[in-house]
Amino acid sequence: MDRNMDLVVIGSGPAGLSAACAARACGLDVALVDEQAAPGGQLFRNIETPMGQALLDPAERAAGLALVQRFRESGATYFPETVVWGLEGTRLSCTRNGKAETFSASRVIVAPGGMERPVPFPGWTLPGVMSAGGADILLRAGGTLSADKNAPVVLAGNGPLLLLLAVHLLNAGVRIAAWLDTGCWPRRFMAGPLMPAGVLDMPYVLKGVGMAARILKGKVPMVRSVTNIRALGTDRLEKVRFDAAGTPRELEAAVLLRHEGIIPRTHILRSLHAAHKWDAVQRCWYPDATDSGRTSVPGVYVAGDSAYVHGGDASLLKGELAGIEVARDLGVLAEAEAAHRSAPLRSKLRKLRIARDFLRYVFAPNPNIFAVPDDTLVCRCECVTAGDIRKAVAEGYGDVNEVKRVTRCGMGQCQGRMCGPALAEIVAAAQSKHPQDVGSLNIQQPFRPVTLEAYCDLNA
Amino acid sequence: MQNTSPSTVRIFFEGQPLDVPAGISVAAAVLGHAHAGHTCRHAVDNSPRAPFCLMGVCFECLMEINGEKDVQSCLVPVQEGMVVQRQFQPAETE
Repeated sequence: MDRNMDLVVIGSGPAGLSAACAARACGLDVALVDEQAAPGGQLFRNIETPMGQALLDPAERAAGLALVQRFRESGATYFPETVVWGLEGTRLSCTRNGKAETFSASRVIVAPGGMERPVPFPGWTLPGVMSAGGADILLRAGGTLSADKNAPVVLAGNGPLLLLLAVHLLNAGVRIAAWLDTGCWPRRFMAGPLMPAGVLDMPYVLKGVGMAARILKGKVPMVRSVTNIRALGTDRLEKVRFDAAGTPRELEAAVLLRHEGIIPRTHILRSLHAAHKWDAVQRCWYPDATDSGRTSVPGVYVAGDSAYVHGGDASLLKGELAGIEVARDLGVLAEAEAAHRSAPLRSKLRKLRIARDFLRYVFAPNPNIFAVPDDTLVCRCECVTAGDIRKAVAEGYGDVNEVKRVTRCGMGQCQGRMCGPALAEIVAAAQSKHPQDVGSLNIQQPFRPVTLEAYCDLNA
Repeated sequence: MQNTSPSTVRIFFEGQPLDVPAGISVAAAVLGHAHAGHTCRHAVDNSPRAPFCLMGVCFECLMEINGEKDVQSCLVPVQEGMVVQRQFQPAETE
């Protein structure tokens, strides 16, 4: 079935929902496609159930519920459990209820959000090792990390989600055996001069302070300057080995949760060859877009953390700005009216960005986290090691796409989502270059796996 | 099939009944409620693997759901009577 509308929004996180609401308010015919079963994205996951609300603080809960309710009442058509795998111009291909479908729209807003920066280390494929965000999703699904509540849980890495997760774990009575900090102290000191701007956003700063206080009260053993993390075990995680300021240490662990910050999800826009920029502090690519989400691809807009990771409340603003911009672009909203509606949103967004700029440095990924030993599986799907990658570089392949062709790193079912950033870092380090100078993986459509049957149905 | 409460769903994981909250994903049920350890064996190196990201990115949560293989179980909500199995081979090798 081919559907026709003014706007299709991809993703139902804060940005996608708020974009859909804003565009609907201007009278546009809007569809929102979402790979999840209910609106909310990651931040407001399962927000319409008591379980999903339980771990959110009251202000966030109220904001999330209001947003989802506004969306439900907006008149936008919602397509849950819909996996988008193609976008040609503004025609979108997806799989829904096992069948392929297309949506034709005048404009598309891409809002898939962010993802945790995947950082490989030896043993990271062992059951028991997870990303911090994944662990939080388990908690928010009413689950626990292990059958035994007293089983030791080790947190490792550097990033905002690690604080939130630690608070959630402590509140659930979980024993955190250690917190292995991999942060980059020189970068953290650079955050100092930027910190006073935080007063522009006091609720946010106070929330951070509150989380830190809770963690201090929980007496979580902190280990600083951690390098060379290794997960050990035969069929599942048993121990974590690491160097603390150069001294080898080992801990028993049933669960190891790693987090190294959040980066934008760029696969959809990359497959359209949209222009991207490199953030040298956060070491990630982000789409080159205006405040209103206009990308270098005609008719395609980006909103939320997939534009740049500023967090949920900024995503609400970015989504609304993109919705208004699309209405203006389609001539539904007069130029002056669009400017009038956008102005306060832009100014709030600017304030948030200034207030939070110091976090870019506080949570800057330490470049040494990618200096993994040769036996590390970098590509989990195709089982390609760091050694395989370095060997390819030594043979003269200097671009990530060349290394991909020679090693198969990035050719598995996740399509380079889990290995792409590390591949670039390792290829660059092997040539003493910066990661932005070794290319970025060419993303092909379909950018999500689709069965041949479903694919052929579309063209039958 | 009986429900323990309206907000609970009974699925069958490896033949065993498992009551979990409605609305959660199959991966979250198997990992966070059944504590299954691994959910598949990897097609390339046969190593045990388990869901890593739980949000649709990593493809480590592939399981067999109601007879269909290679399903990203973190994106599928649990449903009453659902039959879930660990996956030991990808679909195309059979």
